[in-house]
Amino acid sequence: MADLILETDDTNKHASALVAPLNIHKSPKRSRSRGPGHSRQSSSRGGQSATSQSHMSPPLTPRTSRDSLAEQPSQPVFHNYLRAFYHFHPSSTVSSSTDESSITVPINQGDVILVHSVHPNGWADGTLLASGARGWLPTNYCEPYDHPTIRTLLSALTNLWDLVRDGENGDLVVFMKQDYIRTLIAGVRFFLVSQKQPYLTAYRMSLIVIKEKTDCLTRESPLVVAHVGLRRMRKGLLGDLSSLVKTAKKLQEVLQSNDSPGLVFGRLDELVLKAFKLVTRAVRFLDIWAQDAVSLSFDMGEGNNRPLTPPSDSADLAVQPPATSNHDDVGSVQANDEAASVSQASACVTRELLDHEATQPRNLARLSVAFSIPSDSDALQSPLLPPQPQAQAKRLSVTHRLSYTGKSQSTRKHNLASERLNAAHDSFLGFIGSFIGLHLQSRSSEELAVTTQESVIACRNLLAVVEEVWERDSRRSEQLEQAREMMYTRLAELVQATKDMFSSSEAGMGDEVIMPDQGKQLVIAATSCVRSAGECVTKARLVIERIGDFEFEYDEQGLSHSVFDQLNQNRLGLDQPQAAFQVEVPSQPERMLEIEKPLPPPPTDDRKLLPPLVISESKPLPDVPHSPSTSNQNASLRPSQNPCAESPVATSVRSSMSSLPHSSVQHNLPQLPQPSASDYSQSPASATQRFFGKSIRADSVNASVADSSSTCRYSMRGETASIVSQTSTRATTPDQSPAKKYSAQTLVSSFGSSSELRSVASEDVEAVEEHLLETTYSHELLYNKDGQVSGGSLPALVEQLTLHDSTPDTSFVTAFYLTFRLFTTPVELSQCLINRFDLIGDSQSVGIPVRLRIYNVFKGWLESHWVVESDSAALGIIFSFATGKLRSTLPAAGKRLAELTSKATEIRAGALVPRLASSLGKTGVSGSVFIPADNTAPSSNMNRSQINTLRAWKEGRTQCSILDFDPLEMARQFTIIESKLFCTIQPEELLALEWMKKAGKGVNVKAMATLSNDLTNLVTDTILQVEDVKRRAIVIKQWVKIAGKCLELNNYDSLMAILASLNSTTVLRLKRTWELVSAKTKARFDELKTVTDISKNYAALRQRLHDHVSPCIPFVGMYLTDLTFVDAGNEPTRQLPGESGEDGISVINFDKHMKTAKIIGQLQSCQVPYRLAAVPEMQEWMESQIQRMHSNKEANPQSFHRQSLLLEPREPPRVVKAAPPPVSSSAASTMTAKDRFDMLSLSNYFTNNAKDR
Amino acid sequence: MSQREYHIVVLGSGGVGKSCLTAQFVQNVWIESYDPTIEDSYRKAIEVDGRHVILEILDTAGTEQFTAMRELYMKTGQGFLLVFSITSMSSLYELQELREQIRRIKEDDNVPMVLVGNKSDLEDDRAVPRARAFKLSQEWGGVPYYEASARRRANVDEVFVDLCRQIIHKDRDQREALERRGTRRPQGRGDRRTRRNHRPRCTIL
Repeated sequence: MADLILETDDTNKHASALVAPLNIHKSPKRSRSRGPGHSRQSSSRGGQSATSQSHMSPPLTPRTSRDSLAEQPSQPVFHNYLRAFYHFHPSSTVSSSTDESSITVPINQGDVILVHSVHPNGWADGTLLASGARGWLPTNYCEPYDHPTIRTLLSALTNLWDLVRDGENGDLVVFMKQDYIRTLIAGVRFFLVSQKQPYLTAYRMSLIVIKEKTDCLTRESPLVVAHVGLRRMRKGLLGDLSSLVKTAKKLQEVLQSNDSPGLVFGRLDELVLKAFKLVTRAVRFLDIWAQDAVSLSFDMGEGNNRPLTPPSDSADLAVQPPATSNHDDVGSVQANDEAASVSQASACVTRELLDHEATQPRNLARLSVAFSIPSDSDALQSPLLPPQPQAQAKRLSVTHRLSYTGKSQSTRKHNLASERLNAAHDSFLGFIGSFIGLHLQSRSSEELAVTTQESVIACRNLLAVVEEVWERDSRRSEQLEQAREMMYTRLAELVQATKDMFSSSEAGMGDEVIMPDQGKQLVIAATSCVRSAGECVTKARLVIERIGDFEFEYDEQGLSHSVFDQLNQNRLGLDQPQAAFQVEVPSQPERMLEIEKPLPPPPTDDRKLLPPLVISESKPLPDVPHSPSTSNQNASLRPSQNPCAESPVATSVRSSMSSLPHSSVQHNLPQLPQPSASDYSQSPASATQRFFGKSIRADSVNASVADSSSTCRYSMRGETASIVSQTSTRATTPDQSPAKKYSAQTLVSSFGSSSELRSVASEDVEAVEEHLLETTYSHELLYNKDGQVSGGSLPALVEQLTLHDSTPDTSFVTAFYLTFRLFTTPVELSQCLINRFDLIGDSQSVGIPVRLRIYNVFKGWLESHWVVESDSAALGIIFSFATGKLRSTLPAAGKRLAELTSKATEIRAGALVPRLASSLGKTGVSGSVFIPADNTAPSSNMNRSQINTLRAWKEGRTQCSILDFDPLEMARQFTIIESKLFCTIQPEELLALEWMKKAGKGVNVKAMATLSNDLTNLVTDTILQVEDVKRRAIVIKQWVKIAGKCLELNNYDSLMAILASLNSTTVLRLKRTWELVSAKTKARFDELKTVTDISKNYAALRQRLHDHVSPCIPFVGMYLTDLTFVDAGNEPTRQLPGESGEDGISVINFDKHMKTAKIIGQLQSCQVPYRLAAVPEMQEWMESQIQRMHSNKEANPQSFHRQSLLLEPREPPRVVKAAPPPVSSSAASTMTAKDRFDMLSLSNYFTNNAKDR
Repeated sequence: MSQREYHIVVLGSGGVGKSCLTAQFVQNVWIESYDPTIEDSYRKAIEVDGRHVILEILDTAGTEQFTAMRELYMKTGQGFLLVFSITSMSSLYELQELREQIRRIKEDDNVPMVLVGNKSDLEDDRAVPRARAFKLSQEWGGVPYYEASARRRANVDEVFVDLCRQIIHKDRDQREALERRGTRRPQGRGDRRTRRNHRPRCTIL
């Protein structure tokens, strides 16, 4: 039938590369091919205005047999959106004709195109969403693009486009002479004010749907990778959305400022382009999602052979073959899935249909070609798959299998009450979204009616599920009941609002324009409906949680069975409404009421029922008589274990009324052909039938596709089947309580409350937008696999710092405060925070929490992270913010912040403590520092004589040696010295390799290095100064002991310094000395060596530091190396993942800063003073020793080595083993005179010292 | 052949880009996030002349001021990468001292070594003439001289592979020497001669 045939054979391809390709066929490939020359001609002739008129070709018989396809002239098809499945790059973009309108646009595979018109020759005037380029493109390179999930979005885009175009063409042309600018502005403003928000809401809604589905998916999906991809796309999507909002706001501003029209147009263009981008991204999102879904479903289908409910399963299998053959026989209808999708044609298509009844053939063609994925499970087929009529029969079965697989999964999923609830909610949101999005755009009232009804249907479906949940709940949750009540009310309100609108549009403007006020009301009603639905679902979920999830399937009897049917319908919710509308709008609401009837009867007073919409006046459509709906009641109550033999295939074919199959769909095992046939044979709907028969049928087919558990859909192959109206289909839903006919009065009475709710509703609209702003920059964030922020632009990071709904991660905040000066300036940061403050608004739910967080960021910065030298530049900005914007919204916060700023000013003036930031780092990343309160300093191990020795040394009367003192006490005193210095290290000294710079900030780090060097040198020196080998061995032993005590004190820095000496060649080569060192000491030394082993990247040391107990002095050098390598090994920026290989924008590599902060945090967590009592005399002596080393130019490896050689000259290799170690005197004898002199001069001090002892 | 593990020490004054060189080498595949605090941050398996070896690189960048620690680091090394920046003459001079220290500690004049002039991408800021650096490498006994750019990843792998090759050769020679119970010194000279035959070379990109 009117399906696009993809021309893939080579010859055609080549031809098309050179000339305009024009191969749109209905069926066998070569039958309809037109010459390229012909096509060129027609395309240039077509022009941009090749609109619907050009398609008013002879009516296409809807759904004729396949044979007729060949006879049909190739019929251009129309969809609002096409998607290229093959790239098309014309050799020249401008064809021979000079006509501007004959520009062809190159398209790439996957491009989505907004079609403005299709020329009969098959060329379409379209705009590429990816680039915004408009021109002619060959439709045979494209396939229709429509996807239920994204339909709302697409139709919203269509509307936006139309609106903008209307503004450009319509309004301008008409009003240009008079007041061109004002009119345009007024038009756009109207558009913005009244439509923008709902429009966005629509976007939002569809996003919600997408997201929720995705969530479902990922919860079960084993594909983590895919999850990442989806997450990225989702972020991008949200980002695009927010940028769209911004553009809209800008546009609004421009309009308000009455600027030049050029600017307005520019903004409009921007807006449209942004919208394009958004849709493009959404499409990609769907692609990824579909891929996942496919792989997932195959997993489930093959690996998880969970059978369907036996009855339905067997029915399915049994019915399938006859159905297929039946289909082949008749051959009139496309493969079921495709036909089904016809009904998917979005509301826009429907609108077209209504608007141009005269052009019905085209519209029908359009409808019939509209190819879409009807439901979740069908999305498993990639939307890229074009229909292939040639392979109809084959494809049919394939499709069937596909959907079977998918369904078995989704059935299982959907049978759970909670899942059904979700599904119903999804579809509800989708519809209400499209409702809001579509209206208030001066759209025709027909369209309004359609979407209203769609929404109502969806709403009711949702209610049905809720009802069931409520029924199930033994305690009959009151909350749920209330929520449900509220939703009823809101729904009624919505209907009323629509009604009002129609009555006024009838009276006033005609059906072309709907007054903005009414539009607002409508939106208000709709949003409140969304809100109450949300509540309702939440409550229902709570109840489900409490009573436990249940599967409807397990209870096939009675009430729940009917609910199951109902739910089957719910799942079809996306498809049914349109079709239903196409049949007969006015009667729809009542039908919907009937749908609800099978639900367990709730208390009567609960029910506020919808009256039939009284909008038929505005509709030129013929009335369809209300069909009796009770006829199937009995049938529905029948147990479903009817044999498959009785499946309706035969019957439905027999009976010309196709409602049968559908009705049977409603039941797991349908067995009611007779009654329904008789019932619905009455439904005349002849007029409707003429125009809509096709789509109706499509709808019913679709319904059955969506529910593969009952495959009876195939039975409706019959040509005449199309007569059956949706009405009858609906009516077949079992009606449990026919007596409870809903009266219009009940509903009307419920309308009273609507006015009170309006304010709430408008708030809701704001909330939606705020929510958008809440995540304005989320697409500019990157996360690592642990879910931590690893990158982002400054605004995105600031946003992360001030989320409304979650306390920011401590490590994130600490890292930010510590490192922000590396990637931004204090002024920039302040501006960014203030911008966020401005943008977020002041709503209770989002704005206020965020603003408070912004205040807290400033406060924390000023209080504990202020660095005077760099940050004072921002002080003025912060102060004016505190006294201005902040004070006006949050007075107390403003006052406090102003105080803090003045305090910081004083600091700058030197009035207060030099640095507030001295407390910095106590908020260290790696946890708190805990010192037991009772941990008093141990008493010193100094006896009087030792003190006296030190005093004598001070007076210059004597010399001291390390051997004079207790190793523990020496370790303690040295630790005190070292700790003092260590604790003064400021975090900013460790940033940006400051300590490496000659005039950098890292003074304390440098001092640490110097101290460490001096200690090492002191150790070496004290050893080398001793001429007596035995005594030298004792000195070594003493140092080993001191080092051991340092280890006990967690003073790794001193430990490393001492070991660096003991372990050096200079000392180690003193073999004779070491021979005199006791085995015990050597063992201890070996132990210490393993602790300080630098191999394997300090593995041993890291292990100890990891489990350290503060206070502790880690080996600072290790951290410095780590910091250096974090800096060297990580780029300052990273790329956001671009779409399909493009480079994204580069953002701050926050991961690098997190790593830096983590290392610094570890170091800071050690910065705790030791509880040790200083012995001033000893400290003095030690410091003097260190100072001596520091100023001693000979304290370098080279001279130490020389000394070492003097003490124990290098021996001939053989001799070492042969001879026992000679005494020092013999060693000295081998020295040269110069060496001897050097040694003497150098070791003067220690020789004396030794002599003294 | 069993997989051998060799220790390479990277030396040079602060700011010559040692760490970039090392980081570039150990993370040759683009890694989203480089964490230098884990045990195998500086380990890399490479193949040199058909042998699979593991290089453990000790680069104490950032601790240049801990001069007393230097010897501790040097002790572990079997081969040394002496890095200076072609934009700083003093960074070249400082290498002289480092080389002396290595020779002293190793008690060997023929320690596997490579002289690397880093930041070759900053040709405009060149302060060390190529000839000057090359001359020094010759003075050191024909130590290979490379000019590399960590930023552009030029000659990064090459310097490590060259050094590794030297270590392998020395390792093999020593084994042979041990087997023959020969002394190290003549062997070393022989090695140096072979080195001179194949080099001098100056690899510049």
